[in-house]
Amino acid sequence: MARSILTRRPDSGLGNIKRGITDPRRSIDWILLSAVGLLTIIGFFMIYSATRPRMIDNGLDPFQFVQRQIVFVMIALILMGVVMWMDYVQLRGSAELLYAATIVLLILVYLLGAVKGGAKLSFDIGPIAIQPSELSKVSTLLFLCGYLANEELEELPWERFIQSLVIVGVPFALVLIQPDLGSASVVVASAMGVLLVAGARTRYIIGVTALTVVSAAAATVTGLVKKYQISRITGFLDPNPNSESEAVRNLVNQVNQAKRAVASGGFFGKGYLNGPSTNGRFIPVQSTDFVFSAVGEQFGMLGALVVLGLFGVVLYRIYRIARLSVDKLGVLICTGVFTMILWQAFQNIGMTLGIMPVSGVPLPFVSYGGSHMVAFALMIGLVQSVHMRRFR
Amino acid sequence: MGSARAGGYPIMATGRTISRISVLGTVALLLGSLLCVRLWFLQGVGSTDAEIKVLAVRTRTVNLSPERGRIFDIKGRIVADNERILTVTIDRGVIARPLARVQMWNRLSGVLNMTVAQLEDKYVSKRYDQLQPVPLKEDVAEDLGVYLRERNEDYPGIDVREDWRREYPYSPMASHVIGFLGAIKDNANEQTYYKNLGYNPDARVGQFGVEQTYEALLRGTPGMVKYEVDSRGRILRQLLRKDPVPGFDVQLTIDLELQQFAEQSLQTELMLRRRTEAPTVLLNGEPDPQYPLINYYKAPAGSTVVMNHNTGEIAAMASYPNFDNRWFNAGISSEKFGQLFPKTDDPDQSILVNRAISGRYNLGSTFKPFVAYAALNTGQLAGGTNYYLRDQGTYKLQSIPKERCQLNVKCVFKNANCGNGAPCKYGRVNVVAALAISSDVFFYKIGEEIFSQRGNRPVLEEQVRQFGFGSPTEIDLPYEFIGTVPSRALKQRLAASGAIAKDEGRGYYVGDNVQFSIGQGLLSATPLQLTVAYATLANGGKVMKPRVVRAIWAPGTPNGKSGRVNLEAGTTIQDFSAPVVTRDIGARPEVLDPIIRGLTRVVNGPGVTSDFYHSTTGENLFRSYPKRTLPIAGKTGTAQGAGNLPWNDSSVFGAFSKDPKNPYTTVAYVEKAGFGSRAAAPVVKCLFTALAGKVRIEPAVPSDPLDTASFNVAPAQSLTRNNVMCLVGTGSSVRD
Repeated sequence: MARSILTRRPDSGLGNIKRGITDPRRSIDWILLSAVGLLTIIGFFMIYSATRPRMIDNGLDPFQFVQRQIVFVMIALILMGVVMWMDYVQLRGSAELLYAATIVLLILVYLLGAVKGGAKLSFDIGPIAIQPSELSKVSTLLFLCGYLANEELEELPWERFIQSLVIVGVPFALVLIQPDLGSASVVVASAMGVLLVAGARTRYIIGVTALTVVSAAAATVTGLVKKYQISRITGFLDPNPNSESEAVRNLVNQVNQAKRAVASGGFFGKGYLNGPSTNGRFIPVQSTDFVFSAVGEQFGMLGALVVLGLFGVVLYRIYRIARLSVDKLGVLICTGVFTMILWQAFQNIGMTLGIMPVSGVPLPFVSYGGSHMVAFALMIGLVQSVHMRRFR
Repeated sequence: MGSARAGGYPIMATGRTISRISVLGTVALLLGSLLCVRLWFLQGVGSTDAEIKVLAVRTRTVNLSPERGRIFDIKGRIVADNERILTVTIDRGVIARPLARVQMWNRLSGVLNMTVAQLEDKYVSKRYDQLQPVPLKEDVAEDLGVYLRERNEDYPGIDVREDWRREYPYSPMASHVIGFLGAIKDNANEQTYYKNLGYNPDARVGQFGVEQTYEALLRGTPGMVKYEVDSRGRILRQLLRKDPVPGFDVQLTIDLELQQFAEQSLQTELMLRRRTEAPTVLLNGEPDPQYPLINYYKAPAGSTVVMNHNTGEIAAMASYPNFDNRWFNAGISSEKFGQLFPKTDDPDQSILVNRAISGRYNLGSTFKPFVAYAALNTGQLAGGTNYYLRDQGTYKLQSIPKERCQLNVKCVFKNANCGNGAPCKYGRVNVVAALAISSDVFFYKIGEEIFSQRGNRPVLEEQVRQFGFGSPTEIDLPYEFIGTVPSRALKQRLAASGAIAKDEGRGYYVGDNVQFSIGQGLLSATPLQLTVAYATLANGGKVMKPRVVRAIWAPGTPNGKSGRVNLEAGTTIQDFSAPVVTRDIGARPEVLDPIIRGLTRVVNGPGVTSDFYHSTTGENLFRSYPKRTLPIAGKTGTAQGAGNLPWNDSSVFGAFSKDPKNPYTTVAYVEKAGFGSRAAAPVVKCLFTALAGKVRIEPAVPSDPLDTASFNVAPAQSLTRNNVMCLVGTGSSVRD
């Protein structure tokens, strides 16, 4: 059964659709969409359970966050539809423009953005905070893929590799100084994935990754990176709850709370809305960064595996679309989206489980938040667009 | 799997490109498995472990204070009770962040009527257990407690806890005996001691009197309640509760009504003495110009003890200046406390001293019966009562060579002056008469000969030590003074500590023993020690262990009528009423009888006639005493004070009943108040008149609430108009 879902031919449609084989609408990957949809729906329930106690405490409507998330998802769906409807090859034409726009946005947010927890991540427009770093992930990816897809050689030449690094380096640096180390690492990871597939030599990839790690370490030591970013690293390397640094103490406490919540879920969980940690509001930013702890506590290992499984389905379907893609651009786009979702989900879940440092990246499709939802919807839209147009 | 198709726009994905994707797929599988393994170890294997940790983080343990044992008097009158009060506390975790704390203080300061600074002080104070909620305000009104509890949402972490406050309904009566509760003192020893016993750092513990001695029994066992709380510190449910066990009740041997009468007598007498002129100091028969002509007695302090000499039970023990022990629970500022209980070096003004057990006093002539005992018991007086001495008013030491006397040694000792300004001459006296008229000469001679004729051995010291002088009575009250008995060792010790001159400490001489024999010099004792010693004369030679506690009762002795417990309904856990004899001195009747006869003659007369009639020291005062109803024997004493000035004389009287059915021994000591017969004896007389049932003792009534605005450390008590006459005698007897 499960196997038949995974291996179902993407071009078999919904069964009753009678269209020509080249009609893009016929080739929508419904399984990918369903898996993403399920993750989003799980997200609704988790966001509700994680925000309800706080809203009740403050005498507010407990459904407020879910309602907003639904609005975000609807906006994201529309944008995804637009991207799916457009040809990704044509979209590549405007990639430079989108890239430049997000760079400008990133610079603006650095200068004007709202400060939250020591970082300038977002523009606050009324109740909605727009995070350009999330959008920059898409535009950078698109621009990079378009740039690399023009390369005809099997092996990526050295100059191209360096130029690619510049393309990625600008948004990376701007995201890094926000500072948003998590998003920066996602940008790097996806770029490395794309470069790998585009034919860069493995030793370049390894070299650049090592260079990034070293420079990040150097920035940490020289104090270029803000203190609270350092504390994330030290808190991860030396989780001492009695540390002298209050930031480290808070972080360690935060991660310990999340770990305990997940662990206390056991195999089958405490039941929905029955998690003492979640209800007791013991986990800070649970609806965004630590949403996986709500899954783990309330639905146990079963729920956690379902979420992991759905990500597996999503990733597999993207992987598959990449392999079916007709052109290099399609392959590279799929690769970028694949790496980005993989790395971001791993980083988020890993930090909840205490095997990754706290980075503040949301769990794709599940966490509360409009910007990342839109960004990932756009990416899914691109992937779908690649898939829908593979017969031309 | 479908394969990549050839022939597209613009650049096709090559097979090699495609195969590179599978590298990423492998990475994805690896990362996914990593997460699965981690999940397994976290949720599958570590689940129960985490559960325990989760519980530890989300609980709040609140200690429940037990009700302290109550204290009641011998008849069951409750003298130390407890009142339930409400204490507002706040959970530390909720206000750990400075910003949250400031917000909370701002919200609370109006409600609790405290400043933000005061609240912050409470939070940072190390007096409170750092793991327990911080007590912010004690004894809040019931409606405020309800208000805060109902607004848990607005005041997260706030709890209104039920506590106990100690009440002393009859305060200041017997406050020196009952004691009070105070904070654990600020020294490491005491803090460790109480911490090891499981006290909170801010616990109030017995710091004086019975409250201190019986702390372990009175305290009870604290309980605890464990709540599950959410991150904002709000209680979700109760996990565990251990109810506190109240402390044991303590029954005193004190009879509160007699205690009240004793305090009234003492205070009234002190008041009277302060209105009395001391004799003028004469120089060659004229008033000495260096002193004021008229001096009133200062009479600043005093104490009195009434003890049952067959059992050792203390029926009354009063000390003045006294205090209201409710001040210690009144929540007054330390500044105000300092005004009420000033730190002073002047012993006259010390309040928190139970003079009956801590006063270090010369005994004056009240010590003579024990010297008489030593002489009779050791055969020093040849022929006992048949030994007569012609008292010519002065005594010249026989054992010191004349030439030394002329040089530097004091060899001539005098009696007290009679009215004519010269030492009294009592004529031919034996030991009975010598006690009755208090002949110093007779005892000077004993003092010299018992020393010089027995090879300078400390015979007198050994004999009087049997009565308990120089050793603790082991009464169940703290801060007892042991007393000193003159000896070579004592002189050396005092010289070493600088209390007396180095030269003086070199040896123990005849002159020391002579001073010793009339209760002066380095002899010091507490009024309680004197009481125990007189009781030993009264009960035929048994040194009793004095006690203020009769029995320990099971917790929660039920209430009876009119402020008493119902003793019939309670259960005794431990009964101390069986007398404890510290030592039987093996007194022979032929030794005790003359002493008792002498002491009886002090009270009853007659005196002796030598040139003219010399009344005994107590005869005139006790003329109005009901001797037939309650026959007593006693002895006056005047302890000379600084500069031998008359207004510095302290007045002592010790007496015991000779009625086996009413076996009480009483001592009164009135500081700087004149002759023994004038200040102390009237107090004792009043007490025996009361024990004889010849004055109407007023019922003890609970006192008015403490006026915290006042600066009066204790309201004055005085005898009623009808009873005050017991202090008064007839005629004049101005010698000790």
